[in-house]
Amino acid sequence: MTLAAQILATTIILTTPILLAAIGGLVNRQGGIVNIALEAKMIAGAFIAIVVSSATGSWLLAVFASAALGGAIGYVFSLTITRANANMIIAGLGLNILVAGLLGFLLSRVYGTSGTLRLPDVHLLPKIFPESVSDVPLIGPVLAALDPLTLFAWLAVAALPFLLANTRLGLRLRAAGNAPQVVRSVGLREKSIQDFGTVFAGIFSGLAGAHLSLASIGLFNEGLSAGRGFIALAAFYFARNRPVGTALVCLFFGFLDASQIRLQTAGLPPKLIGTLPYLMVILGLCLAAWNTKRKLQA
Amino acid sequence: MSDHVNTDAMPADGLAAMVRRGLDGTLRFVVPIGIAFAVGAVLLLAIGENPLETYSLMLSEAFSSQRRFAATLSAATPLLFTAVATAICFRTGVFNVGVDGAFILGGLAAATFGVMLPMSIGWWIIPLSIGAAMLVAAFWLWIPGVLLARLDVDEVVSTLMLNFVALGIAGFLVNGVLLSETSGNNTTETIHSTAELSRLVPPSTLHSGFLLGLACVFAYALWSSVTPAGFEARLVGLNKRFARAVGISIPSTIIVVMVISGLVAGLGGASHALGQVHKFSDGFSAGYGFTGMAVALLARNSALGIVFGAILFGALASAGTTIQLFSDIPLDIVNVIEGTVMIFAVVELGKLTLWRKGKRP
Amino acid sequence: MSPEHPRTDRSVSTRIGARDISKNYGLVQANHGVSFNVTPGQIHAVVGENGAGKSTLMRILQGLERPDSGTVILNDEPVQLRDPQQAIRLGIGMVHQEFMLAPELTLLENLVLGDEPMRTIAGPIAIVDWKKALTEARALEKRAGVAIDWNRPTATAPVHIQQYVEILRLLRRGNDVLILDEPTAVLAPQQVSKLIALLKQLRDQGASIIFISHKLHEVVALADHVTIMRRGKAVASASVDELDIAAMTRHIMGDAPADPSEQARAAVVLPDARRILRVEGLCAVTVDRSQALNNISMDVCLGEIVGIAGVAGNGQEELMECLAGLRSMSSGSISLNGAELAGKENMDFRRAGIGYVSPDRAHEGLARLASIADNVMAGSQHAPAFLKGPFRNLPAVGRAARQRLANLDVRYGALSDPVSSLSGGNQQKLVFARETASKPQVLIVSQPTRGVDLNGIAAIHAILRQHCEGGGCVVLASEELDELIALCDRILVLSEGRMVGAVRNEDATPETIGKLMLASGDGLEMAHV
Repeated sequence: MTLAAQILATTIILTTPILLAAIGGLVNRQGGIVNIALEAKMIAGAFIAIVVSSATGSWLLAVFASAALGGAIGYVFSLTITRANANMIIAGLGLNILVAGLLGFLLSRVYGTSGTLRLPDVHLLPKIFPESVSDVPLIGPVLAALDPLTLFAWLAVAALPFLLANTRLGLRLRAAGNAPQVVRSVGLREKSIQDFGTVFAGIFSGLAGAHLSLASIGLFNEGLSAGRGFIALAAFYFARNRPVGTALVCLFFGFLDASQIRLQTAGLPPKLIGTLPYLMVILGLCLAAWNTKRKLQA
Repeated sequence: MSDHVNTDAMPADGLAAMVRRGLDGTLRFVVPIGIAFAVGAVLLLAIGENPLETYSLMLSEAFSSQRRFAATLSAATPLLFTAVATAICFRTGVFNVGVDGAFILGGLAAATFGVMLPMSIGWWIIPLSIGAAMLVAAFWLWIPGVLLARLDVDEVVSTLMLNFVALGIAGFLVNGVLLSETSGNNTTETIHSTAELSRLVPPSTLHSGFLLGLACVFAYALWSSVTPAGFEARLVGLNKRFARAVGISIPSTIIVVMVISGLVAGLGGASHALGQVHKFSDGFSAGYGFTGMAVALLARNSALGIVFGAILFGALASAGTTIQLFSDIPLDIVNVIEGTVMIFAVVELGKLTLWRKGKRP
Repeated sequence: MSPEHPRTDRSVSTRIGARDISKNYGLVQANHGVSFNVTPGQIHAVVGENGAGKSTLMRILQGLERPDSGTVILNDEPVQLRDPQQAIRLGIGMVHQEFMLAPELTLLENLVLGDEPMRTIAGPIAIVDWKKALTEARALEKRAGVAIDWNRPTATAPVHIQQYVEILRLLRRGNDVLILDEPTAVLAPQQVSKLIALLKQLRDQGASIIFISHKLHEVVALADHVTIMRRGKAVASASVDELDIAAMTRHIMGDAPADPSEQARAAVVLPDARRILRVEGLCAVTVDRSQALNNISMDVCLGEIVGIAGVAGNGQEELMECLAGLRSMSSGSISLNGAELAGKENMDFRRAGIGYVSPDRAHEGLARLASIADNVMAGSQHAPAFLKGPFRNLPAVGRAARQRLANLDVRYGALSDPVSSLSGGNQQKLVFARETASKPQVLIVSQPTRGVDLNGIAAIHAILRQHCEGGGCVVLASEELDELIALCDRILVLSEGRMVGAVRNEDATPETIGKLMLASGDGLEMAHV
């Protein structure tokens, strides 16, 4: 039982960055932009979080800095797509390479290290509950592991369906993604609405990055995001942009991550397990396409 | 009668049009690179380096001696293949971003054959390994090709995802059944020496795979300009409805270009495995598929542009490594330049095509 | 709803109108000195053939285009409309043929999009007040007299409901000038009468309605006033009481030109004409699935030009695509020289000897970004004459391209120039040069002179005649009745996807054909004039 609770706790924590990025990506996609560059904003967020946390001694400022940097990168990225008509896929792949290059450059030139950045006095995300809560049966370990960003991520998941349905921006964002010409015809600026979606995705990816570096390890590494931006993409693609469904898929991916070592000892190769999210997306797309085709023929 | 008039009018106009197109292509090649180098220069200034000095140092590091030039060409070799594999698809309007995965699986297959086949078959080991690599990679890209052609499954997402799947499969195999017993983690045994592609100018690592790459570019040039299939592919890329109306099958064109793309990517993987690294290990592709994409975008799918682009990025990679050693400028500047090139290659493209369309009634 | 919206002012004499508006697109004069007036509380029909200039005029009234000369009048004052947003603010609303509704949003969401009623929760935080939105929606629904399930995703709602929502959205935002572009095209007959009732009611409440239509019986049933356009001019404008359908038809069609050389064609008799193309019981589904090609049968003989007439959107395009093998048919048969083609691919149609000239030259007839040579040689890339081993024999291809272009006298600069550098007429001649090159027996030709200048038109007509004299035959669909009458041996008329009549050349006049075209789908008996 404690084993299960421990796996659950690890699952929750490992899910958070994927979930945050996926929330951002799904809002972005509801607005009509497929964001391939979640990874870039995530790694930038992870980096700035460590730097700010070390410099100010405040995890909260660090989190804000991550969100701000992610949002700023997102805004520039959005402009290349909505105003300069760049292909969103190529621009996204390019941004991933560019940001990774910039960070590597900074690391070795400014901090004189390659790959890993350790700074003194990094303040990690605090735990919400005191240590003693882990004695609570069943969910104790989970509660003990909870940090503010994890809580925020799940609150966001809970609020998102409401916000998308009931706020002016939510409605207009969905309309801009579904039928931009309609948005234009009722006198709104669909490009600005889409820019908002990309900035939102940037902010959430930045937060995801902050969680990666500040949740427990307290250092930055170039390989820290390890493709989680793409896993997030896989999650909302598979769940077809539905917030709660996306969260559940993220949880499943987090579980795969958390139980990797145990699966390995059980004889399941972790590398193959790691391909599961991507295979699921392809399978999901095939089923959807097959369904449409059948409907058309009927 | 009007035939006569037209042939008279043609050379002058034709030449002008050719010059215009050539200029256009050159501009679209040079402008993104110029912007990228400017971004790099800002970065260098920010850390107190003189960008002109750095760039001229890089230039001499990349080209100033036979040894350095060979290193540049060696670094350009995988890009020739991946750029051609990408260009074939882009030209047809198929958005294949899965060349990296095909390259990896091709390399894995070639290395596996290079290790496993008995030495006794002699030089046959090379064509067999290459053949296996091409088959595996072609099958790999055939999957998203069929999904696109028959079910209309978005090829961007499927090929992007398949890259990660390919990485996973390769990682699984080199940590499992193919794991070397002698040389540690994440790698296969070294291939038989008979399976190695010959080095062209030892001690440089430049190997005959480079010639294969050039041959590939040449074949691509032929395919795209003077074969019926290449002609059809281009029409499909320009206008699908038109292509269909003149009797070209869109699904089979898509599948064919995806398979050819896989063959080329697989050949590239084989060249890299048999010529450069002589085994397969994790990290086999240093993003060659994506750099190849940048090259193809920059070249706007032209064969000549691909050769220039591949050498440019090869030079950046090889000079970047040496200047990191000698002048403390991080190699990452190469990535900064590559990323910027990719972004500005498409920004340009979007804007220019829009203007053109807007102008004509 | 907001105060800035102009309320209906019954005191003005012109709610919306045009004074002497002209608009050219290149060589095409789309509007030529057009004037008309819509008073408050009037339903004003604008009728005319396709290309008569109606859409251009409407685009100007919405601020999508600016006139070259002349002014738009609003409430008796001249205005300059800069963009559609301004037109919307001034109360001008358009109901498009393709509805401006986001398909994945609910009907209610579409109703309020861009002008959402808000409810404050706390301080500056406000959310959309769906309750209020629904109350407003119910009030509008009552006004329209239909039941609407507002929480339904738009894509799943029936077409006529979507249309109501589009109209109600305009009313909600205070638009009291409504422009409806062929609103009944997508509706079933009983829905049409409901829409007519709604529009009349809105008129009685003071709205000014501009109603664009091809269907004269609807115009008579609905409109107070009618303006008739032909070739860019407003040729008649009168109260509906003063013009009957026959008079309207005369104005719409104009007088057929009496060109002796063209009349002579009528005398050509085809004694032992051989039927080579046979179509029997052809049925097919159209794009929007609202209409189908229904049981079409026809024969085409060697040396003959058979015309296909009909008001736009009655199945002509679908029929032509079926004949070219580009659209799959649900049942029936198409055979050429006795060989069945049903179920085959477009390539097989081409191989059997059917050429196709698309009505959409820019997107299907040509690859605009490709060169002149590539456009004229496309489709022939596997012909042995143009191959040398596995490669294209480019010198031979170039020679053939020049030959093909010369044969039809296409004027061009260089073979390598983009095809978009050619004029409309030369582009179309190039399409013919390609499609006739392999000497197909049958040419399927759709709207060949659309956007082509007068010289080009004459040349294309000559090409079609030549093709027949050379032993081929042509099926020609055109919205230009004059063209059909001048060229065709027989004209078949389609209405609502059915063949409703056949007219022989000697009996063909704009009136006889127009009557068949404009006949509603009621009398489906085949009419032989």
